[in-house]
Amino acid sequence: MTLDRGLRWGPGLLAVVILALAPLLFSDFYLSAVITKALWLGIAAVSLIFLAGYAGMVSLGQVALYGVAGFTAANLVMADGGSKVALNPWVATLLGLVAAVAVGLFLGAIASRSYGIYFLMITLAFSVLVYFFFAQVTQLSGFGGVNNVELPSIVGNPLQEPARLFYIALVVSAVVYVALRYIARAPLGLAFQGVRDDPERMRALGHNVPLLRAVAFGLGALIAGLAGILSVWWNTRISPGSISLSQTIDVLVIAVIGGLYRLEGAWVGAGVVSVLENWLRGVDLVGNRFNTVIGTIFLLIVLVSPGGLVGIWGSATRTLQSRTSSRPAGDTAVPPNEGGSHALP
Amino acid sequence: MAAWVAYKATQNVRTFVVVGLNGLTLAGLYFVVASGFTLIFGLMRVVNMAHGSLYMLAGFFAFELQDRLTGGEATSAFGSSEAGVGDWVLPLLGASLAIGVIGLVMQQVFLRWNQGQELRQALITIAISVIIADQALANFGGIAQELAPPSVFPDSVNIHVYALNYPFFRIFVLSAAVAVGLVLWTVIQRTRYGMIVRAGVDDRDMVSALGINIQLVFAGAFFVGAFLAGLGGVLGGTMISVDKGNDTQYLLIALIVVIIGGMGSLGGAALGALALGLVDSFGDVYLPEGYTNYSVLLIFGMLVLVLAVRPLGLFGRPA
Amino acid sequence: MRKPGEGRPSRLWILLAALVLALAATAAACGGDDEEAADTGAAATTGGGEGTGETIKIGIFANNEGPFAPFEGQTWGGAMLPLINRGATPVSDDPTKGVDDAVIAGHPIEFVYGGSDSTPDKAVEEARRLVEQEKVDILIGPLSGSEGIAVANYSKEQPGITFVNGISGAQDTTLKVRSPNFFRFHNDGTQWTAGLGDYAYNELGWRNVVTIGDDYDFPYSQIAGFVAEFCSIGGNVSKRLWPALGEEDYSSFITQIPEDVDGFFMGVGGTGTVAFVKQYGQLRGNLADKIMGGIFMTDPVILKELGSQVEGVVTAGMTAGDSQEPAYLEYADALGAAYPDLEGTASSVFAYGYYTAMEAVVQGLEQVDGDLSGDQAAFKDALSNLELDAPLGTIKLDENRQAIMDNFLQQIVADNNGDGVPDVKTIKTIPQVDQTFAGFFSPDTPSPDRTNPECKKATPPPWTKQGGGG
Repeated sequence: MTLDRGLRWGPGLLAVVILALAPLLFSDFYLSAVITKALWLGIAAVSLIFLAGYAGMVSLGQVALYGVAGFTAANLVMADGGSKVALNPWVATLLGLVAAVAVGLFLGAIASRSYGIYFLMITLAFSVLVYFFFAQVTQLSGFGGVNNVELPSIVGNPLQEPARLFYIALVVSAVVYVALRYIARAPLGLAFQGVRDDPERMRALGHNVPLLRAVAFGLGALIAGLAGILSVWWNTRISPGSISLSQTIDVLVIAVIGGLYRLEGAWVGAGVVSVLENWLRGVDLVGNRFNTVIGTIFLLIVLVSPGGLVGIWGSATRTLQSRTSSRPAGDTAVPPNEGGSHALP
Repeated sequence: MAAWVAYKATQNVRTFVVVGLNGLTLAGLYFVVASGFTLIFGLMRVVNMAHGSLYMLAGFFAFELQDRLTGGEATSAFGSSEAGVGDWVLPLLGASLAIGVIGLVMQQVFLRWNQGQELRQALITIAISVIIADQALANFGGIAQELAPPSVFPDSVNIHVYALNYPFFRIFVLSAAVAVGLVLWTVIQRTRYGMIVRAGVDDRDMVSALGINIQLVFAGAFFVGAFLAGLGGVLGGTMISVDKGNDTQYLLIALIVVIIGGMGSLGGAALGALALGLVDSFGDVYLPEGYTNYSVLLIFGMLVLVLAVRPLGLFGRPA
Repeated sequence: MRKPGEGRPSRLWILLAALVLALAATAAACGGDDEEAADTGAAATTGGGEGTGETIKIGIFANNEGPFAPFEGQTWGGAMLPLINRGATPVSDDPTKGVDDAVIAGHPIEFVYGGSDSTPDKAVEEARRLVEQEKVDILIGPLSGSEGIAVANYSKEQPGITFVNGISGAQDTTLKVRSPNFFRFHNDGTQWTAGLGDYAYNELGWRNVVTIGDDYDFPYSQIAGFVAEFCSIGGNVSKRLWPALGEEDYSSFITQIPEDVDGFFMGVGGTGTVAFVKQYGQLRGNLADKIMGGIFMTDPVILKELGSQVEGVVTAGMTAGDSQEPAYLEYADALGAAYPDLEGTASSVFAYGYYTAMEAVVQGLEQVDGDLSGDQAAFKDALSNLELDAPLGTIKLDENRQAIMDNFLQQIVADNNGDGVPDVKTIKTIPQVDQTFAGFFSPDTPSPDRTNPECKKATPPPWTKQGGGG
């Protein structure tokens, strides 16, 4: 019993304490370059996980959507490059989110009648097209991107006062997480899960399935948009390189490493990947081939544990519990069987 | 759009003809690449995200092979030294076969035991493409290379229309694409193997239940699909260039062609390739000046149009 | 998947904990806490000789990913040469491994390796890692155009660190950003075209040209220089074509070059140069008569690919591979001796740019005896006033810490030295080119882009015939 309690509450309390005190525990550089980055990457990844896990839509377009939000906001404030419509940064942020949601709803509507792997392909194609759009339309960005983006005053200067952006990212992450968990259990979320599990039946029950899927995608776009805005604040710039295919794959890797069905997995994965990338850059043996390393880790995780690291932890603690107490192994979320093209592995 | 193009065409017919040929020849290349992709998906429901990587690898392999065969001559100073027919055909066949084998190995090791788990397979092939991309950068460098066609091929031919000269190799690629299409079509429609493939696309389980060794069929099809990617890579490497950005580029092309044309449909792939090739070429030239960099939107618009009307592509069929 | 009503806070805690524990563990291991970052153990550092002073850490980064990754060896080779000339020894044949026994003014020098991928985001991340985590005193880099602007902007946040540009060539990096601790000891992309407009107008008799270049900032800078010079003395640029970066199929753009134009300036760079030249030859065929090249055409690696089709073409750039000056020959020989793989690449801008950067840093350090105290004030001062006697001519800095140096007009000629590669002959030296092109460019003029600068008559630069030079 004590062990069980320990496993449940101990790490959690530790986590809360460490995160709250992070600016004191870590150097400015680490706080900013690794931890804050992990937070907003986690938000991007959770949008993917939410869509994949709760709505059955594996989307590779989240990075492109956060690019739309980011580029829109960057173009609407004072900056070097872009269209320099100098609006208030908060207004620009809002419009950026609106743009992302609008594009998300539009894309969601177009792809709403496509399922499974086909849907994934379409989102991937759109994602690369968005990248080329911003790379080629120099009026909005061009290859050099938009630099020196004016930030809202509360963010301050992310390089000099990284704690501010850290707390903002932390708060946004927490809000997004709580909101998604709430939605998951609300009627809308249940409808999403119904669509994920059996669209035909949902249609028979009178639901407008394409509409539901479009709405889900729009919601995912909103969350991705939040990540995009944060990424612009973090970088103080945005360029097509920020939303290239390798970034899309990075976010996918994060989501998979963390675990495609657990919302928490987003930040676990983001944390692991950020720390790993920072560490690997200094390791002589790896040298320039860290992409190979990340790719291999990704491959191994997909081959071995579709539930990602979170899945591994879950099985490990379950094993521990079932060995040390008479409690039956808990009602874990079991991924549905692979079958038709609508389900997930 | 068509009206605008027609209007511009009458203004300068020579340009129109050249651009039209550009589009057609590009379409040929795209078809060769996409046909392999659609074959693999149509039959095995595997979205091979490493398809573009295979294309790129084939180009690099062929380049290396040609470099060694000609002692570095043909691959450096173009126009000033001889590349024999063998110096091009051998790399073509060698690279394509090698890629076919690599594809086959990939399928046997990573994809055979998790059939049906489409997402997982997509993730696996993505991971493989990341690794291939990084290793290719390490081993082949980041600079674009070019394969030299056999020097018996003229550089350009007079096509007798408006006294235009047009690059011969591009016309060759177009003919090759047509040939590939015909061969594929014949095999699929007229041979027993093709019949099994068609049946497998329609109903995999039934075919298996009929006692046919479906694994062998899959292996063969994957080999062919990868081989086609390799073929495309060598053709493209000679027509345009071999570059480390090719993997993303040609994966996107394969995706778009197949989204438009429909999964598993050869005719769809041909149509999709035509659409993409023509829009690509005409967009670059005929968009109003100052807006030529919006040509991406045209492609986007085309996708939207097709998906709005036929979510599974023009000739696509549901699983 | 989760069933409704399954919410289990315990899982949340467990997973959050896992994340944070992982973070904490690795952070502690990697020097992430508030103390002075100790040597991170596995960091790629070399250097340090027997000197008695405090170690000075110099970070160097070029591209180890992306289209310019193949040139990384040249950048490091150039950067290490000034140290090798002063007694350091290369660790191996691979320049990126650095050198041992590097001592300047009694201070051991330690090098820290970095690399980016030609995108501004990664460049700044890498610069931050080197400056804030590895704690370098001086940073040399970056390599590509848009990276330079981003890193120059970042340098303003770190006034106590000296940043010296690698080879990134966008004009804005110094002309607009004007960071007080960012120095560029080589010409920018615009300056590299000095002399071409004059040659086109006065020697070739061109009056009406078209330009074609990749759609991003480096070609914008190159073509801006050409347009500024050519138009200010009376020429006309009727059309500017901008194929998308990475576009390898130039046929549609070649088709748009009017057949009756006098010539065109080719600013397509790097990997596209070869594809473009080949496709042009196939579609039009009269390449050498009509083309004027930018910096890329004389790069030894590209020239090998281009071959005899480009004989006669005139280009310009900041290096002259055929120079017979003793200083240049010494430099070229030393480079080949230290790194056999880099034999023949001495004239590459990648090697030369990083060489001049490091040479300037070393001379600056020698002048102040390695004193980097007081936010490196004395050192930065020394750099600003440095007159560098570089192998290809003197380099001075203007008030924006941008180099003023000679530019070289060159022509590609038939192979003379039997290596199978066409040679480059310097036909004219353009002396002391300044970034503003005699006032054509200023911090207030629009940055070079698809339509700027406008083609208009203006004060001819002093090196043109109309300006009194020639």
